[in-house]
Amino acid sequence: MPHSTIATPEAKPVANYKMATRMEGGRLLYISGQVAWDAGGNLVGKGDVRAQARQTFQNLRGVLQAAGGDLGDLMKITTYITKIEDFPAVAEVRREVFPGELPASTLIVVRSLFHPDFLIEVEGVAAV
Amino acid sequence: MDRREILAERPVERGRGFMPGVSVNPSRLLFTAGLTGRGPDGSLVAGGMAPQARRTFERLQSILGRAGGKFDDAVKQLVYVTDIDAYNASGRAERAKFFGSTRTASTGLVVRRLADPAMLIEVELVIDLAGSAQGKPLLEKYNVEQHGGDFYQGVIVNGGRLLYLAGQVANNPDGSVAGTGDWRRQAEKVYENIGHVLGAAGATPASVVKETTWVLSIDSWRQHGAPVRRALYKGDYPASTLVEIPGLARGEFLVEIEVIAAVA
Repeated sequence: MPHSTIATPEAKPVANYKMATRMEGGRLLYISGQVAWDAGGNLVGKGDVRAQARQTFQNLRGVLQAAGGDLGDLMKITTYITKIEDFPAVAEVRREVFPGELPASTLIVVRSLFHPDFLIEVEGVAAV
Repeated sequence: MDRREILAERPVERGRGFMPGVSVNPSRLLFTAGLTGRGPDGSLVAGGMAPQARRTFERLQSILGRAGGKFDDAVKQLVYVTDIDAYNASGRAERAKFFGSTRTASTGLVVRRLADPAMLIEVELVIDLAGSAQGKPLLEKYNVEQHGGDFYQGVIVNGGRLLYLAGQVANNPDGSVAGTGDWRRQAEKVYENIGHVLGAAGATPASVVKETTWVLSIDSWRQHGAPVRRALYKGDYPASTLVEIPGLARGEFLVEIEVIAAVA
């Protein structure tokens, strides 16, 4: 894997994600913020954050695979949600998607995403 | 260079100027600060979204130009707006005038407030620069304007290895939150954590290339957090962005800071 994980006992993550990653080689891949669109551009799971989160991570994975990588190549993800109450459901989907440890991660509650129906958007950066 | 666009856009995404992914073989990268519609005298240009967006991209253009970069070489953009309808009505078209047919990886967010309450748009870019990193210093930090702020407008990374930190919050190693309701204590703890993580990766605060500071209140951050930040960087600032948002992962968190750094 062209990146390594940085850990330190003095500063620990608040959940199951990496504190930092360092790119050690490969190509740097920036992935656009992904939302719960299917291939045709139709929203999957209107009003259902769990369904949107699943589709969003599937789309993220699709970009990684198209670049010759997969979820394990992610160095960092940023998850944007519009309601903090949705976080537990999103965290549950993330545990399904990343059965081990998440990459370095940031979670931000924004006022909204680019369409009011989107409840979650996830962007990533990877070394592939 | 060697830029690749990854995966075709969906029908609904066509014409919007971005791709699902963009990859590069990084040799020299430019990270810009979040730029806004401030005029040469530092005040926000009048007239709303269209003039602000135009001015934002003009300023980005001069930052790119100083580094020998072009919008064509943009890898990633992050667009923060406070009014999505205004952006769709007139901001997007202004952006298109600068980017032409170039498609970047992109994220767009509607946030609560930017540096000035009247600011409608802020944009930051990552640019793949031409030329060899050989013989150049690892980091080149520069300004194209005398803005008086505590940041550099552009930071070039010549070679080296990029370090991506998770968003750092004011948590203790046992998981408890340091400084509930206390902006200054949280700022200290966040930067203490950042210092530990940087140190574990062989980096220092001077190694930080780009910083994004997410706060629940820009006014409180300026009063209590900014002095802590100044003491940490001692003038050797990264390119940075400051954004006010309605919430973070836990109700107690007042600030979350993510940094990208580079080590040899």
